Amino acid sequence: MLERELVDEILRAARRRGGAFAELFVEERSSVTIRLDDGKIEELTTGLDRGAGVRVGRGTSFGYAFSNRLDREALLQAATAAAASLDGAPGEVADLRELEPPVVHVAALDAASVPAADKVAWLREVDDVARSFGPDVRQVVASYGDSLQRMLIATSDGRWVQEVRPRIRLVAQVVAARDGVIQTGFHGPAALSGAEYIDAHPPAATAELAARRAVTMLDSVPAPAGEMPVVLAPGMGGVLFHEAVGHPLEIDTIHKEASVYRGRVGETLASTLVNGVDDATIPNGWGSFSFDDEGAPAQRTVLFADGVLQGWLYDRLRADEDGVPSTGNGRRQSYAHQPIPRMTNTYILNGTSRAEDLIAGTERGVYVTALAGGQTNPATGDFVFGCSEAHLIERGEVTTPVRGANLIGRAIEVMSAVDGVADDFDTWEGVCGKDGQSVPVGSGSPTLRISRITVGGTGA
Amino acid sequence: MPDLLELARAAVEAAADGEAVEAYVEESTKTEVDAHKGEVEGLTFAESRGIGVRLIREGRLGYAYAADPSLDEVRRAVAQARENRAFATADEHNVLPEAARAESIGALFDPEQAALDTDRKVRLALELEARATTLDPRVRKAENVQYGDMVSSVAIASTTGVSAAYERTDVWCFVVALAEEGDETQTGFSFRVGRALAELDWEGVADEAVERGTRMLGAAKPTTMRVPVVLDPFAGSSFLGVLAGALSAEAVQKQRSLFAELVGERVGSELFTLVDDGRLLAGPAASPFDDEGVPTSRTELFTRGTLNGFLHDTYTAHRGDTVSTGNARRAGYRSVPGVGVSNFYVDAGDTSPEEILRRAEGGVLIQDVSGVHSGANPISGEFSVGATGLRIQGGALGEPVREMTIASTIPEMLKAVTAVGDDLRFFTAVGVPSILIGEMTVAGV
Repeated sequence: MLERELVDEILRAARRRGGAFAELFVEERSSVTIRLDDGKIEELTTGLDRGAGVRVGRGTSFGYAFSNRLDREALLQAATAAAASLDGAPGEVADLRELEPPVVHVAALDAASVPAADKVAWLREVDDVARSFGPDVRQVVASYGDSLQRMLIATSDGRWVQEVRPRIRLVAQVVAARDGVIQTGFHGPAALSGAEYIDAHPPAATAELAARRAVTMLDSVPAPAGEMPVVLAPGMGGVLFHEAVGHPLEIDTIHKEASVYRGRVGETLASTLVNGVDDATIPNGWGSFSFDDEGAPAQRTVLFADGVLQGWLYDRLRADEDGVPSTGNGRRQSYAHQPIPRMTNTYILNGTSRAEDLIAGTERGVYVTALAGGQTNPATGDFVFGCSEAHLIERGEVTTPVRGANLIGRAIEVMSAVDGVADDFDTWEGVCGKDGQSVPVGSGSPTLRISRITVGGTGA
Repeated sequence: MPDLLELARAAVEAAADGEAVEAYVEESTKTEVDAHKGEVEGLTFAESRGIGVRLIREGRLGYAYAADPSLDEVRRAVAQARENRAFATADEHNVLPEAARAESIGALFDPEQAALDTDRKVRLALELEARATTLDPRVRKAENVQYGDMVSSVAIASTTGVSAAYERTDVWCFVVALAEEGDETQTGFSFRVGRALAELDWEGVADEAVERGTRMLGAAKPTTMRVPVVLDPFAGSSFLGVLAGALSAEAVQKQRSLFAELVGERVGSELFTLVDDGRLLAGPAASPFDDEGVPTSRTELFTRGTLNGFLHDTYTAHRGDTVSTGNARRAGYRSVPGVGVSNFYVDAGDTSPEEILRRAEGGVLIQDVSGVHSGANPISGEFSVGATGLRIQGGALGEPVREMTIASTIPEMLKAVTAVGDDLRFFTAVGVPSILIGEMTVAGV
């Protein structure tokens, strides 16, 4: 994307006033988004973005400057601005050597080579299938997006990394209504992959799942309130784990002393049934990559082993401060953002129970099949999750759907209350927001049972 | 380098016969300083420039964008939008607004702020952090402290005669303070925005974050009760986001609004008046025209509890056979405009916050709600959200309470408003005073 000589010159300019290291991140991203709403293809948008960011690190502080101009003058100006807060002697720039990726995510069919008409047809299929699901389906929004991010990362300690990341996603949102009750259903599978992903996750299946969620919830009654057992369907435990446990394990919250897990590595802080990892090497995972956005190789990091906390998720700045290697969790939304510690694909691994047995062993509780997202306070561990699809469990059987259910609790207590982990692992793809930056993340888990958690509902 | 209007006009000139073309160009320079433990944790300078092109012919719309384009690349974006148009469904309501003169609304650009040197910004962030961590012995550190500012400009030109530009300065700071006692930690957040540092009460941000954190120390989960509830402006602003979605004509036309059938009806208490006013200079989201060049206006959405109508952009106005309220908004040059709020606020009442507390005896002041985005259904209006706050005893704030849920519906809550404070306060685009809800169920143990 840029000549090595120019990159070397920029890094030298960034190191002119010292600091611990300098880094250049260059990207070009082309993207296509198509949106169908109310039966109409509202728009097809194509875009081309490019830009570069220069970072100069000193301890845990940094200077960062970026521009969406890629000419020599603009890049040298960014390098000077990034170094502005330093006042030391010039630092070294090592010979740049290309790193081999630890994992390559294969994209068999370049999405850019698929005609726009085919992509439009996928959305039409979502619309048709969802509407034919039943007379209660009133509205369908379907969206498709693919993007190709080409990046180059070079650092003053000699790292030269190039990566091409293709991402693809198809989302269905369905509104169903009956007798004045309105409910929505959502499904949005996504991957770091080429267009072959759509063959494995056909639009019809996505549409049907979203439609079924919306229509099922029409029969819902207000959720009960109070403390009770909750069984989380495959994937949903991963979403909860990401929000309530994963965020407080990101090293910036630990360093800011704003995490309930600070200073507690080696302690049993979850049920011994819980084994959790963050893994950017999952082939074609939505949150996967070959290198993180600082040029560190993708890796698998164990967070919990049999309920015992194993460690944190590191980016470069904080890893340098603690004198440990980065875990490859320095990520950024784009060249316009500095890297911060982020999760990739965060999973609770399979256990040995059977999902049927976990439900059958629950006298009265709630079975959650879709979480709507949530909020968590890493300092206290408090979290709240809305359930977009949930059912009552009565005498060991899944019965009436319930709406308006919230799961409210604190991370350590709730993870310690897990008393069943099944063997039916599945994933859930999302977009995680932190410090104003959005990045794709994968979550995953098998069916989990939590013996006791507060359900905030409006019913009896 | 070509100026913004020049780039926009280059796109317009590339239009073929029968095509309506609009170009939206924006440029910004942003500085952010994050302070931590007495040092600059991060110093970020950002420059960005980009164009988005809308092309319509026979009701079909195509869109394309490009970062920092040359004049040639602008023409290529037009060609790309032309290609994309072919796949869109024809919709007669896809039209561009006619040119209209946007009267000036006053100064959005502060030349002194635009020229502020970096050292001053760095010093401010450090002073802000120092103040937040020395006011109270229980607050020795902060999770986040930031000073930020932006100088930006926007230009829009179209084949229908729009040709307009403006520039603005924005400045903000926020603090997330950590209050600690024993092994308990509580966070306190505060945030302010303005057009220039000189008018920004940054000391108040530190003071408020410390106050809001420390007063939550010792919070316990209450028993379930049905009591008067005061939403402080922070908590109230979370609910305004849900209202904003439901009051967009786009949501109404697509049958996704709980208010769709309620125009002309008394939905809320007569104390409840809700306004969107892009021309209110005192509001952070003021602008002379919206993101498709239509002059902004003042729209009273609810007057004394009665729903008057909805927010419109050119598309929804054409489809609803009415006029745009000047509420076209974009996430940036990468996106087509849609309906969005400008300064969207609950009109201030005449009750002081102190009087509101006196009237809420035995109730709870909610200072934070969580899960509104996931826990509130913008279509049905039902919500169930987590909340933290303080008990109200003897007309004053008492012991802190946490891990509560409040559940109701938006219309029920609007009906139950029994007092509106005179303390209207803006948080970016939304503004809200203290609001007293006569009675609500607060679920705890």
